[in-house]
Amino acid sequence: MTKMKRAFGAGIVALSLSMLTAGTAMADNVVVAGYAGIFQENYVKAVVEPFMKANPDITVEFYPMPNSAQTLGTLRAQASAPQIDAAILDVSVAKAATGEGLFAPMDESVSKHIADLYPQARIAGVNAVGVTFDNLVLLYNTGKIKQAPDSWEALWDKTYAKQVSIPAVPDIQGTTLTIIANKMAGGTNYTETVEPGLKKLEALAPNVQTWDPRPDVYQPISSGTASIGIGWNARAQVYADLSGGKLGVVLPKEGSGFQINVIGLVKGGPASESAKKFVDYALSPEAQAAFTQAMFYAPTNSKAAPLISKEAIERTAAGSMDQMIDINWLEVAKIRDAITEQWRRRIIPLSR
Amino acid sequence: MNAAAETAPRTWRSGELAIVLLLPIALINAIGFILPVLNLARYSFNQSTAGGGIADVFTWENWTGLLRDPFYLELIFNSVWISLAITLTTLVVSYPIALYLHRSTGSWKTFLTVLVISPLLTSAVVRTYGWIALLTDNGPVLSFLRYVGLPAPSLMFNIKGVFIGLTEILMPYMILALMAGFGRLDPRVEEAARTLGATPSRTFWKIILPLTLPGIALGCLLCFVLAVSSFITPKLMGGGRVFLLATEIYDQAIVTLNWPLASTLSILVLIVFGAALWAYSVVLRRLD
Repeated sequence: MTKMKRAFGAGIVALSLSMLTAGTAMADNVVVAGYAGIFQENYVKAVVEPFMKANPDITVEFYPMPNSAQTLGTLRAQASAPQIDAAILDVSVAKAATGEGLFAPMDESVSKHIADLYPQARIAGVNAVGVTFDNLVLLYNTGKIKQAPDSWEALWDKTYAKQVSIPAVPDIQGTTLTIIANKMAGGTNYTETVEPGLKKLEALAPNVQTWDPRPDVYQPISSGTASIGIGWNARAQVYADLSGGKLGVVLPKEGSGFQINVIGLVKGGPASESAKKFVDYALSPEAQAAFTQAMFYAPTNSKAAPLISKEAIERTAAGSMDQMIDINWLEVAKIRDAITEQWRRRIIPLSR
Repeated sequence: MNAAAETAPRTWRSGELAIVLLLPIALINAIGFILPVLNLARYSFNQSTAGGGIADVFTWENWTGLLRDPFYLELIFNSVWISLAITLTTLVVSYPIALYLHRSTGSWKTFLTVLVISPLLTSAVVRTYGWIALLTDNGPVLSFLRYVGLPAPSLMFNIKGVFIGLTEILMPYMILALMAGFGRLDPRVEEAARTLGATPSRTFWKIILPLTLPGIALGCLLCFVLAVSSFITPKLMGGGRVFLLATEIYDQAIVTLNWPLASTLSILVLIVFGAALWAYSVVLRRLD
């Protein structure tokens, strides 16, 4: 009995000791929500781990999310008692989150680096700033297509009939292609009309094998199920390396459009001061350069480029900023439903 | 007097017991199912804003928009008739198997039953990918058709692929439901029909089929509900060309972030299920 009592007493002491230490460490546990998979893998290695090394009193937990919509859903569900401190998500979704009051204000009081960001990364009306730039690219199977295509027109080439893989709208890869096609067909301002682009896409429809490539756009092309298609640059570059050269990636001569991931501070997040510190680090030239080096997202900090190797920067759009169509995703959000409707009524039925 | 005094509190107690026993599941159902569905219904009267926001204002817009938009009317119509057609095909291919299983005996029957159930041990995702590998343009099925000189239409990334995949995936459910409903089929009745001079086909249409109708009704209800709500197979095999209620709910909820419209469509699916259940009960009442 005394033995048991003693053991019990020792347990109490141990428990209170651990609570004491936990008490000091708990305030500095920052939870960052972001994309799962290779994004998480590379982001933890390139940004989270160096941050924790520099700030031993703060631990950062990367909370993986399958997509931005799920992130928004989680933030909504936790609105009254947030568990997430900061979130990385698509800019148009961040706009919705801002509108619903889920994000705390983001300005130079959070991070001085915000002043160094490219103008595309600072979006009026959104309580979050650009943390990565990505762009639409042409993907092709190097076994089936020997000569690397240099133009989006390759998608329209009848040689690849039923071999083209396009993620259709409402996926924003389809939206970006609409805007690019609009420019190729002579359209001047996509916010006024995308009619020329839609007409051009009607001609593409019969070539399309699938409008919903699974599990993602990269796998069917590297395996040869499809010959050519579209996808995002960063992931394509990583998968191109992983595929042993079977997946080819081209930034076509007509240029492309950016997809912007932003980082925002969750309003009322449990570790707000440490979270600000992390956001500040995530926007710093060093962190931006390290992530570009790891995963080929173009940096949003204009001072990051000199820190990045020439090979890595050539595989991003950072070297061809002037060729990029300036897509205002907040404007696009307003016409997205109309574009989706046109795709479903006019374009997709032509491929049946 | 004494006996009455004894039974009266007992019946009262058993009623109490029923309430106590039902309470946990009723609570779980209320929290896990009824409340979320009510919440879903509430969302369907909210307004969606550009970019995926939800405005907390009451509106009929989602419902009236659904009925005014030919795309959604076609979507609802397509979902229902494709599911009905898949249910019918599943029934036609499963019925002989179920009948054979019902008639077989001993370890042979056990072996065959395990064989029928075994596809359920593999996830629908894996089986769907299996079908994709078999049915692609360079896959074995089309290569064989071309080799023997038959026309080889594209079977993947269109409605045909969804049809083939879902039929196979639903077959085990149909076979099990049919077997469960075959209890009334007494082999002696069939034998009697044959001794009285009925041809095999007459025996089938006049004796076997009417006696197995309860099993058919159950299997059809189950498969129809599963077909309407199936999401993975149409998503993977439809190639973005096949628009069904389940895939559209996914697109609206996850891609476009239009939760009010997704909620409206979800409630609509519940209404379709309600109609199917009603039809089932009407059929059952007629059979009895």
